[in-house]
Amino acid sequence: MSEFEFLRSFAVGQYLPTGSLIHRLDPRARLLAGSLLLVTLAVTRQWLGVIVGLGVVLVGLALARIPLRYALRSLLTPLPFIVLLALIQLFFSFHDPAAVPVWTLGPVRVYATGIGAAALLTLRFMALILLLSLWTFCLSSSELVRGLEALFRPLKALGLPTQDLVLAVQTTLHFMPLLAREAERIAKAQASRGAEWGTGRGGLLRRARQMLPILLPLFLTALQRAETLALAMEARGYRGRGRTSLMELRWRWADSVALAAALVLAPAILWI
Amino acid sequence: MECCLAFIELDNVTYTYPVPGAAPQPALRGISLRIAEGEYVAIVGANGSGKSTLARMLNALLLPTGGAVRVAGWDTRDAAAHQEIRRIVGMVFQRPEDQLVAATVAEDVAFGPENLGLPPADIRARVEEALETVGMADLWERPPTLLSAGQMQRVALAGVLAMRPRCIVFDEATAMLDPGGRRAVRAMLRRMHTLGLTLVVVTHFMEEAVDADRVIVLERGRVALDDAPAAVFSNAQPLHALGLTLPPVAVLAESLRARVPTLPPGLLTIPALAAALDALPHHAPPLSPIAAPPPSPPAAPLIDMRHLAHTYLAGTPLASPSLRDASLTVAAGGAHGLLGATGAGKSTLMQHLNALLRPQSGAVRVGDFDLNDPAVDVRAVRRYVGLSFQMPEMQIFEQYVGDEIAYGPRLLGLTRTELRARVRWAMTLVGLDFDAFKDRLTFTLSGGERRKVALAATLALQPAILLLDEPTAGLDPAARADLLDRLAALRETGVTLLLSSHQMEDVARLTEQVTALAQGVNALSGPVNEVFAQSDTLHALGLDTPVIGQLVDVLRARGWSLPPTSLSVDDLCSWLLSENFSTD
Repeated sequence: MSEFEFLRSFAVGQYLPTGSLIHRLDPRARLLAGSLLLVTLAVTRQWLGVIVGLGVVLVGLALARIPLRYALRSLLTPLPFIVLLALIQLFFSFHDPAAVPVWTLGPVRVYATGIGAAALLTLRFMALILLLSLWTFCLSSSELVRGLEALFRPLKALGLPTQDLVLAVQTTLHFMPLLAREAERIAKAQASRGAEWGTGRGGLLRRARQMLPILLPLFLTALQRAETLALAMEARGYRGRGRTSLMELRWRWADSVALAAALVLAPAILWI
Repeated sequence: MECCLAFIELDNVTYTYPVPGAAPQPALRGISLRIAEGEYVAIVGANGSGKSTLARMLNALLLPTGGAVRVAGWDTRDAAAHQEIRRIVGMVFQRPEDQLVAATVAEDVAFGPENLGLPPADIRARVEEALETVGMADLWERPPTLLSAGQMQRVALAGVLAMRPRCIVFDEATAMLDPGGRRAVRAMLRRMHTLGLTLVVVTHFMEEAVDADRVIVLERGRVALDDAPAAVFSNAQPLHALGLTLPPVAVLAESLRARVPTLPPGLLTIPALAAALDALPHHAPPLSPIAAPPPSPPAAPLIDMRHLAHTYLAGTPLASPSLRDASLTVAAGGAHGLLGATGAGKSTLMQHLNALLRPQSGAVRVGDFDLNDPAVDVRAVRRYVGLSFQMPEMQIFEQYVGDEIAYGPRLLGLTRTELRARVRWAMTLVGLDFDAFKDRLTFTLSGGERRKVALAATLALQPAILLLDEPTAGLDPAARADLLDRLAALRETGVTLLLSSHQMEDVARLTEQVTALAQGVNALSGPVNEVFAQSDTLHALGLDTPVIGQLVDVLRARGWSLPPTSLSVDDLCSWLLSENFSTD
């Protein structure tokens, strides 16, 4: 595997059109069901709830015909953070003052509650990240935009700039893979000039310093691209209001079923 | 004319970009123009002459700081009219991937009509019609990121057409395209013109300006010339002073005319030049025995690549094969051209030669380095093989020119004096004066100067082999000609060159061997005049021949039985009777 293939570790944010059952749902149904699961998974304090949530996500991945190995790859990038957070939980979580440490090494004591909290946190993060990847695998950026537009429509009456908001989401999604590719190109160019990219050498500080020749051009490129995109949109008459849409959303019975399933699962995740 | 308003009117337009904390540099200085409905206008000029600024005046993306712009009677300073002006005047930008906003082709084309607030059924009808016009109706659901650059530009054009505009402005829309993509866009332009649309084409390619009815030459924000192509391109000298060149066909015609004074002046197109040559007294020359090609030196090649294959993101659902079976040999001191449509694998191939990518299958040897060996010294390989990416000036990150060029050598651990000498040497090679430029701020340089700095930064490592990916892309004609001269001189110093380019003239000028890739496989390879003799194959690959090859093809159709590899002015002259050469 090449050190330069930044897109590889970029599984979140890649739309994978497999044409599955889930892909054919109304974007609003996918958005609502997805957010419901996301929120409940994030706040639930129940062990069983998190496990049920993880199961739901895995079933979702299977239904969406996403290769599990590919989905799991999205866990790789945040893995160090998850491990760090889990370690903090392990050593510093609250415990009953009367509790007996499970394991002691000098001043370090590990309690049963700590182990539980760390495990719960790890599971919860895995479920959340997999859910987010499932979401992006199954929801193209244009579907996301259509769905958000439709769902936010009531807010427009309150005078909120919903279309600008939706567009910001869209361009962010549009730009992420482009920027990953750009970063790759710049890293390769600097390596060609003698930077120690792809040579597997250098400590942490050295590696951090190598980022400057990449970040600076990347930043400038991103600004330039954003400016062109804004101009291109303006040139095509974008004003952020009075827009209509090519695609009309149609709510089918399968969408109601999916939403109903999410409505049943949400309290289950919260209170089982 | 005087009775009514012209379609587009510019009255004494000035524009100054707001630059905080710096002296204002006006980009446009008093431009007055009238463009009638249905006209086909080309705008040319050196970098910084104000072409793009002028283009953006026409659809109210920029508003004049002095004077006025009126489009179909609307003053662009009237914000209430902007929507209508942008519906009337559409614009296609330079970089294909920066102007596409949606996730599928259809939705992208629909973006404009959606902004107009049309009902869905109308939008659908317009999208279908526009995609039909640009010949992309079958790619409705395709994500734009999976299209070739030429296809993306056609989608962008469809997006403009769906607004039912009366005028389309093309802002260097072919600069990033391969020859096939450029041919398709040029054919599109002719079609739009016959449909009665007003066309304003900003371009660095003089051959595209020849297609127009009228050429406007800008120089430092002023109109320097405004005339028919035949008049503007009648004389090379004034154009050079404006940072421009003659179109390639005219350059060829001039070099023929230097030998054949009876050839009339002002020949700007291949058919015109072929007709004029054919009209001169000519005969089939007596067959001269074909000289055997000089025996090639048996020396081992410097670059030896065999059956290379590479798949990006291998093992993921996004896996995309780039190279399937590519082979390449380059002799030491040689100059090799690499041709191929966008996505043919040129860039991937080059990245294997300095170990940015490692062979997944196949063998690569460069000099004494075996790149299949996992233990090869990657840094030594990268010093030995310099690679300059497309638009290398985008990778500049230091504040000062000298530091930027010293970046690579400094990492080698050179001493201060060595470093200084090295930077001076590299700057001299690319034609930048050391004392004048070393302390200049990189961001204040012109596009051509920045390109030179980036090239010097690669040369400063003193590579034995230099890989150049589209070295002249986006440069104005003067900067392009200068860079080609520098590269030719660099070759004389013994550096081995591998050059990938969409510019056939550049390849013909700089290289003697050529390899053409198609979908990651060698399609053609051999000496440059043999490869460029295969015009049908090249066309099918989305490539082209240099203009002399195009001329030979047309002459052959007129009955000149030119030998297959005749690609020189001498070959053509041998057909003309001696009376053509008399100078009185």
